[in-house]
Amino acid sequence: MGNIKQITRAMEMVATTKLRRFQDRAVSSRPYAQEIAQLLGRMSAAMGDKLQSRPVFAAGQGKAVAMLVVGSDRGLCGAYNSALFAALERWLEEHQGADVRLFVYGKRAYQYLQKRGLPIERYFADPPLEKIDYRLAKFTAKALLEAFLSGQYREVLVHYTAFESMAKYVPTTIPFLPVKPVAGKANEQGGASDVILEPSVETLLDKLVPRYLETRIFNALLEAITSEYASRRMAMKNATDAATDMQALLKGVYNRKRQEGITKELLDIVGGAEALRGK
Amino acid sequence: MAGALTLRVITPDSIVLDIQTSAVRLPGVDGQIGILPRHAHMVAAVDVGQLSYNEGGVEKSLFVSEGFAEVKGNTLRVVCEAGELPADIDEERAKEAEARARARLKAQRGGPDAVDMLRAEAALRRAIARQRVLGLYARERVRS
Repeated sequence: MGNIKQITRAMEMVATTKLRRFQDRAVSSRPYAQEIAQLLGRMSAAMGDKLQSRPVFAAGQGKAVAMLVVGSDRGLCGAYNSALFAALERWLEEHQGADVRLFVYGKRAYQYLQKRGLPIERYFADPPLEKIDYRLAKFTAKALLEAFLSGQYREVLVHYTAFESMAKYVPTTIPFLPVKPVAGKANEQGGASDVILEPSVETLLDKLVPRYLETRIFNALLEAITSEYASRRMAMKNATDAATDMQALLKGVYNRKRQEGITKELLDIVGGAEALRGK
Repeated sequence: MAGALTLRVITPDSIVLDIQTSAVRLPGVDGQIGILPRHAHMVAAVDVGQLSYNEGGVEKSLFVSEGFAEVKGNTLRVVCEAGELPADIDEERAKEAEARARARLKAQRGGPDAVDMLRAEAALRRAIARQRVLGLYARERVRS
């Protein structure tokens, strides 16, 4: 029993460290994401009505809906995956008849969705989410963008667990494509024409869109893995606490048994001595 | 500091640089762009290359990858995927990358795979830019 407690305690500690590392990453990626989003807002405002003619900003011609589902590779993380799947089931219920094709992160999610018989378009197994860096996000965003531009899909969604706090992580579905840029402030829109643009609005916008998508995926993936570790930490903490309680209980049982054993042995010895004396 | 320009280099991993400078030269997609204090509001696309700046009278530089630059109200924000100060650049790796890219380009000259060609070219440009930041490549030497 003590061993199990040691293991869960160790796993709790590991989860806490990793959690902190992923959280730091999320925090330090924020300024970049904000800058990109702002620039995109400004550029799309400068484009005006021409914006709708860009394929990434208009709804796709296809009928299907692509969805990136971000689950975990490993278990022992409490209700993390089941909450994610439950939310997905709710979404499917609300959008009955939708032709959903899935893009999947996480072995657990893959296994579940396969068992459910849902069409899996692509499973990102390698590199695992655990090893997340910006390049991984870039790669994922590119895959989703290419899928969208192929014309098969109407829209692309991301289903992941949003991290709100150490104790709160919510399964969420967000629209990913077509791009709906954060609208620039009204007064800034008027002023956009005063800005020198090098080389041109179109070029800048075309370069910004993939970057913007990358930052959004990066953020979603980071939040998902942070939530996973927060959930795992909690699960391990509960296990450790349960182990502590059980250890106390078992210690009582053990001591009683030991006492019993000693008493029995004493009786035997005394009995034996009595018998010898009687001879 | 009167008439100074704030230069901030922002990447997905961190804020690499946040300093006061008197002049910046950055690699725009259509050639070098020089920026002095009191520059007009501008948004520019940044190419892979060397970004030089003047800090306290000393000319310094760092490696930047593709991104964007915005000058507004005496602040220049460079938002790019990678920003590496000379101390962060691995000289050996850059040299190896250069050799690898050159070999690949040579092997593929006239080959059918245009994508690989572009990739090798991009790798070569990054490798050279990194070395240039380290002062290993003469500035006059143009991309071959």
